[in-house]
Amino acid sequence: MAEEAPTQNKIRSGDTVLLRIPNGDTRSIKVEKDLIVSIGRLGSFSSNELIDQHYGLTFEIVGKNLVVLPPQNIQELEETDATNEHIVGDGSVKPVTPEEMAAMKEAGVHVSDIIKKQIDQHTNFELKTEYSKDKYKKKKEAKYAKVFTTIPPTLFNVCEYWYNKDQGRIRDLRIDALSQMLSLANIRPGGRYLVVDDASGLVVSGVLHRMGGQGRVLTICDVETPPAYPVMSQMNFSPEVKSIMSSLNWATCQEDYTPIISTWDVEEGQIRSDKQRIRVNKRRAASDLLQSTREDLFAGEFEALIVASEYDPQSILKRLNKYLGGSCNIVIHSPYVQILSDLQVVMRASAEYLSPALSEVWLRRYQILPGRTHPMMNMSGAGGFILHATKVYDDPSAVPVEAHRRLAKLAAEAQKNSDVVSSQQDGGDVAMTDVA
Amino acid sequence: MWSTAREIAPGDTVIAWLTRDLIQPLVVTPGKDLNIRFGYYRHDDLVGVPYGSKVGSRNGKGFIHVLRPTPELWTMALPHRTQILYLADIAFITSQLDIKPGSRVVEAGWFMDVEIFHFCSPTTFRLFVPIPGSNFLFFAGTGSGSFSHSVARASKAKEEFTRHGLADIVTLTHRNVCKDGFTVESAADAVFLDLPMPWSAIPQAKKALRKDCLTRICCFSPCIEQVQRTVTALNDAGFTEITMYESLVRPHEVDQVPPMRSIDDACEILKKAEQKREDKRLRQIAATRQNLANKRKREGEADLAEDESHHDTGSGKRTKTDEIDDIPQEPISLDRNIAGSSEVADSTKPTAKTTVSKAFPEVRGHTSYLTFACLLPGSPEVAVDA
Repeated sequence: MAEEAPTQNKIRSGDTVLLRIPNGDTRSIKVEKDLIVSIGRLGSFSSNELIDQHYGLTFEIVGKNLVVLPPQNIQELEETDATNEHIVGDGSVKPVTPEEMAAMKEAGVHVSDIIKKQIDQHTNFELKTEYSKDKYKKKKEAKYAKVFTTIPPTLFNVCEYWYNKDQGRIRDLRIDALSQMLSLANIRPGGRYLVVDDASGLVVSGVLHRMGGQGRVLTICDVETPPAYPVMSQMNFSPEVKSIMSSLNWATCQEDYTPIISTWDVEEGQIRSDKQRIRVNKRRAASDLLQSTREDLFAGEFEALIVASEYDPQSILKRLNKYLGGSCNIVIHSPYVQILSDLQVVMRASAEYLSPALSEVWLRRYQILPGRTHPMMNMSGAGGFILHATKVYDDPSAVPVEAHRRLAKLAAEAQKNSDVVSSQQDGGDVAMTDVA
Repeated sequence: MWSTAREIAPGDTVIAWLTRDLIQPLVVTPGKDLNIRFGYYRHDDLVGVPYGSKVGSRNGKGFIHVLRPTPELWTMALPHRTQILYLADIAFITSQLDIKPGSRVVEAGWFMDVEIFHFCSPTTFRLFVPIPGSNFLFFAGTGSGSFSHSVARASKAKEEFTRHGLADIVTLTHRNVCKDGFTVESAADAVFLDLPMPWSAIPQAKKALRKDCLTRICCFSPCIEQVQRTVTALNDAGFTEITMYESLVRPHEVDQVPPMRSIDDACEILKKAEQKREDKRLRQIAATRQNLANKRKREGEADLAEDESHHDTGSGKRTKTDEIDDIPQEPISLDRNIAGSSEVADSTKPTAKTTVSKAFPEVRGHTSYLTFACLLPGSPEVAVDA
């Protein structure tokens, strides 16, 4: 237990950090030394204050500084006799005027005092049930509190952030779907995997996260330069974790593709200046990298193919199939069942894929407040569909057991028939029809 | 932990896939045989064969596929010795607890090896697996509540870990974690409790978790009452960010069906049927008249009035039979019509089938509730023995 924990615990300069603000929204900010971070209504602060802090802590912005708040527990609410029934909208509520509010904010009055003042002026407050009071306070806190919580950059949290922000950009890949894909593909350190990710890099992020910098990941994309994979920025991967990934595109992954080599590939003697030498070397390095990545792909024997793509999965499978090793896990996600059911029909007809199985993912979150446990009133309905199959090597000479039984039966009956035919020539026709 | 070589070698653990519902693990042992419903094999036949190959039986009575083991295949191959964790839950828990290479995880429960394989998949982390003693209500229903039995089970599990090469990363301890706690203190990145009374182990779990960074806990309970008590215990122990989820998989079956017919077809068929019926009626009337006329000719006209009704029914019946003989294509059932009309449709439309999918008629509706919580560095300390 003495070895250094590999878990990333603290915020470092250069990290992209997710913040949860009181209204429930999540913001993504870049933490850089001596940078001023501004989060809208909440105010601004120097990001130096976040550096070296643990992920998961809650801060209050006081002036331009951050104060760590102790973790908050769930408070049990005492039942009272209040029933809300005596509350009448008779205009007796004298809310705090916008001017008063502005003045308080200007004077830097603490949020708890602002809420207290509002409650004081709320004549009906005491008539509310404890639940209503709690709800009222929470609502006001969400509106005025200048607090935020840093969210640890786990795959779960990053996926949730993107799913809420723009689920189309991650092709409806909800965290349960993503987790199942990684488990079905059996992603582990040291493996060799092919990834086709048009989900902004969420799948690649998941794969790299579970590999911890050991093994090999090849991604195939539809852009000329290595893809940006924006989701990866929130994961704050170390360079080692990312080092195992290389990318090809649908053109460069073709075996008959030949890069167009123009005049830049000059001979050693023809280089005229240092500047040109650097340029030539750079290009040569890029070209070498491309070539070695291509060779890596062509060497095949990949242990999993994992796909979340906007392209036809049948075309992807057709192209990459020959690089998959025996017993390779093929995992394909789509927001649409039709695409995968069509694919399943095609795969089922081929002896190269064992037991293609299609499933839909389902996830429900619960509210678990004391005495108030129930499923959330809203749940995400779209996590997509997953098709999983295993690549196998066919042996056409192997006879299925049913066929064997059928053949045996036919042989036995043929034997019987020939007996019948020879013994009673007239009935021969009848016997033959029976067999057919 | 399992072979990563391309070909199968003696001593490898392989998965023999017979059918989707019949999957069995084997350790390839030259000299041994495999004699199953799907034929007769020798283990020697598997040596040197690439993983993922279809292997025909020696007696031609079928074939098997030999696959590389994965945690998922292992789950499917397992004789269900105890309540096990399924893919949806395991995958979700692995993500939520942020289990990754290097993580140190403590698990307590009547697990068998399934989730260990899954968690070990992001391998090289350390795993502690204390098993609770037998003084739990949990065993009441299983009929195997004796302490010696649980010891036997623990040692069997230990053997299994060693056999799968997990001994280096899995440490198994048999003890009552609720009473005696875990063997480690401030060491785990995550704790997973699959216990009948997880709330009673939460103070101990807190002890086992690291205090120098954010750590996580997951409690796996099938009942909502267990969840409620667990949440209270977690809250009291200073855990925060308490969430609870339920995750399921809905398997779909895919079929190819002919394109759905238009109601125009049905309309056409009904009209035709009506027309045919009308034609038949007219033919019957004509035939009856003919019969009657013949009869009259034969029998004379004297006693016609007396016998009319009787003759009518008799001859009517006869004509009906004649009709059926004459027109064997008489539309009787709707199915017949469908066959006829789709032939018509086929000649005009392309015969492409439509792919459809629907959820399986019977699926797993509940596994367990997954309760998660975080422990932040600097959480208010609570007395562990409270």
